[in-house]
Amino acid sequence: MASLLERLGFIKELKIGDVQSDKEMTVLPLVGDALGDIASPESIQFRRTTTYGSMQFRNNNHDNPAIVPANMMVRGKQAQDHAMSGSGVVLAASDRLFEDSCCIESSQGGYFSGQNVEEDVLPVGLRKVLLDRTLRTKHSYDKLWGSIRNWLSGLRKVRPSDRAHLRDFFDEPNYKEALENFAAAFEPVEGQIGALILFNGIPVGLEIMPSADHWLAYWKWLIRGCYGSQLIKLKDSGEIPGATMILPEYPEDATPEELKTITTQFIDNIKMSIAPMLESIQVASQDRIESNENMITELIRTEGGGGGDVIIQDSKPVYLSLVL
Amino acid sequence: MSKPIDSGMLQYSPKGAYYEEKDQQFKAVKKMWDGLFDYDRALFALISILNGTGFSKGAMTHKLLSNPVYSETGRELVAVGLDPDFEKKIIEFNLSKQKMARALKNLLMLAGGELHSRVNNSRTRKIILEFLFNRDNKELDSLSVNFKNKLAKLIRHALGKQDLHNILNGDMSLFQKKIGRYNKHAFPVICHLFNRLPLPGGEVRGHFPQIDTYWQAKTAAFMGDIEEFEKLIINLPWRVAMGFRNSYQLAIDKSKIMGTSKMSNKEELTMEAAVKRSGAKARKINYKAQDLYDLWKALYFKHATNEKENVEQISEAIDEKTMKLSKLDFGEGCVVVLDASHSMFGSDKRPMHPLLTGICIIAAIENVEDVFIVGGKWKSLEGSDLKVIFPSGASPIWRGLVDAVATGAKNIIFISDGYENSVDGMFDNIYKHYKNTGHEFNIVHINPVFSAEAKSGTGRKLTNDVTPMPVGNYKYLETEFIFNQMLENTEAVKQLLVQKYKKLIGGS
Repeated sequence: MASLLERLGFIKELKIGDVQSDKEMTVLPLVGDALGDIASPESIQFRRTTTYGSMQFRNNNHDNPAIVPANMMVRGKQAQDHAMSGSGVVLAASDRLFEDSCCIESSQGGYFSGQNVEEDVLPVGLRKVLLDRTLRTKHSYDKLWGSIRNWLSGLRKVRPSDRAHLRDFFDEPNYKEALENFAAAFEPVEGQIGALILFNGIPVGLEIMPSADHWLAYWKWLIRGCYGSQLIKLKDSGEIPGATMILPEYPEDATPEELKTITTQFIDNIKMSIAPMLESIQVASQDRIESNENMITELIRTEGGGGGDVIIQDSKPVYLSLVL
Repeated sequence: MSKPIDSGMLQYSPKGAYYEEKDQQFKAVKKMWDGLFDYDRALFALISILNGTGFSKGAMTHKLLSNPVYSETGRELVAVGLDPDFEKKIIEFNLSKQKMARALKNLLMLAGGELHSRVNNSRTRKIILEFLFNRDNKELDSLSVNFKNKLAKLIRHALGKQDLHNILNGDMSLFQKKIGRYNKHAFPVICHLFNRLPLPGGEVRGHFPQIDTYWQAKTAAFMGDIEEFEKLIINLPWRVAMGFRNSYQLAIDKSKIMGTSKMSNKEELTMEAAVKRSGAKARKINYKAQDLYDLWKALYFKHATNEKENVEQISEAIDEKTMKLSKLDFGEGCVVVLDASHSMFGSDKRPMHPLLTGICIIAAIENVEDVFIVGGKWKSLEGSDLKVIFPSGASPIWRGLVDAVATGAKNIIFISDGYENSVDGMFDNIYKHYKNTGHEFNIVHINPVFSAEAKSGTGRKLTNDVTPMPVGNYKYLETEFIFNQMLENTEAVKQLLVQKYKKLIGGS
């Protein structure tokens, strides 16, 4: 069976960078040239919420379509926080209203209309809930509330309550600091367009952006909001053991060159042990969500219950975001 | 002393870092200010004479002025070698060492600026009025044109509405009591600041020519007399001239204003690109009068925009400044490892700040025998031998350790934000290998990403044996060292600070 990256046509485009790790989280950078003709990340702007469950974006680029990263969320004051149900395509020089978005702050009223917002991507656990096509496409602003309550319930520093306020997690000072530490611990490498993300050596996400500029713009939302938050949740609820990497030992009289060689080999070995995991991700189903001019969005389900979006431009993949 | 404090209390400025929002930093720093003030007010005041950011000094001044001094006689201060009014002298000294814009902002904190509460007591009023008016006419003239609104706000705060009203309406005995005691000619300045026209003509022309020009230019702008306006702006600050141009919608090219009106040395450097874009003739910039950090920033800007003009002069000025810089001695055989990974770019609000600070810190260290750079990407100017390193990629800091130890250096200084990801823990692993196999060297870890929590946040340590020193500005190396010693011996440091006070400010 062809691997997911082969089947989608990404595999020839990508090289693997040096592995980065911070305790339980490991990131394998994927490096490559820009994919397709997609508007720069600066071109796409969140504008407002027009009703509960709607998010409007504007693409200021007059030549190319723009992509809203899958499950992007916005949080701000005096308005109800919202998240996308999936990724989004906004055609050149146009506005688009996504009416299947989710409210993620149940007892706060008010619409966004240009005020400053904090941006992130939903935690892995909540993204997985939205892999259900029926739920994803449903126009119902409260469709994620039950899942948010469940997600928050295992967190020790979030005061137990019945409200579905995802910001109760993101605003909690200890969690906030821990999330910023995740963002600080990882760094984009030159030409990076994506990454395989692992917790304790098990893949939990695969992200490929249209270009290195897109990765630079969105990597923090992913590492902090999506994967960092999920790792904190798992650790807090005791669902993942703490991990320490066993590092190499050196001969007592090792020369500087030998030290470098042993260490480099050790890091390369980690890379080599992780890289095949990219090949092991298998597609269980592929389902078209929408087609817009030369852009097609498909919902992928992987073996093992993961999945996410692939966006194809002129028959070539330009974006992939999977939680595994 | 329970003191979760570090030199960060003198290095704070309200700007976010790569991974820490400014409000988090502010809360941590405020806790330090409050803690030290409650522990020892005199020590708190003395510490503020060390090098630090204008904002920190302003906030510390605010703290001193918003709490009354309880001592009746000041004898206990004299006993430790301080004057009874040493706080006032320290506040005045600190104000005099700031750039004028920052000094005024610090005074405006007392009027509720920069999220501070208003403080209005006799000490505050006296300090504000003395600082503004106890200067010669030439300085006062320039000050009142450059910072008209700020001065007006401060004077309104210091005098109160009623006294201000009475002075503006000609109560000269009140003027003499409040302001004339510092500068007897200053009445027209008050009229100028509060737009009380016509100004007393002879007095203005005689003592305050810039104020005179200000009103002439404003009138010319109002009348649309461009020819006259162009003649007058030669003697006006460019921001004032530009303000008139925009307010009165004058059909005069920006380049004319940027090319002819007055700019400070720093403005000439920072506005170089804007002046060029406006089409104005390039100004001759005195690079040798600039700060080392600003020079590096200008050099990096040239590389980023691939522009060669004046690059040689900037490089020469950097060399000269570096040579003249007073340096801190970490001991012989000193090797520096500079982290140039992506996170050393800093925040979007202060791009490149950590790396530029790191580069300047290298210049402020004595006996540097070698520098190793980890990560980063070199960029050279087309057709030039010059190249600089830009932050990029991951942080294999362990490589820097191996290279540095291989030189046989006894003192290794790491300039890094302390996050290691390639891979996590590898630095510590190799460090322990060296220590266990008899290698002798000291490590100093300087963290140029100012973070109020840098000392307590274990995530930013390269190894548990070495506590990072947060140094957000190359000028604060000495400050950091004094703080390090204070954690061991508070009284000795207090005496050291008293001696420094006497040397800088004088005293009993």
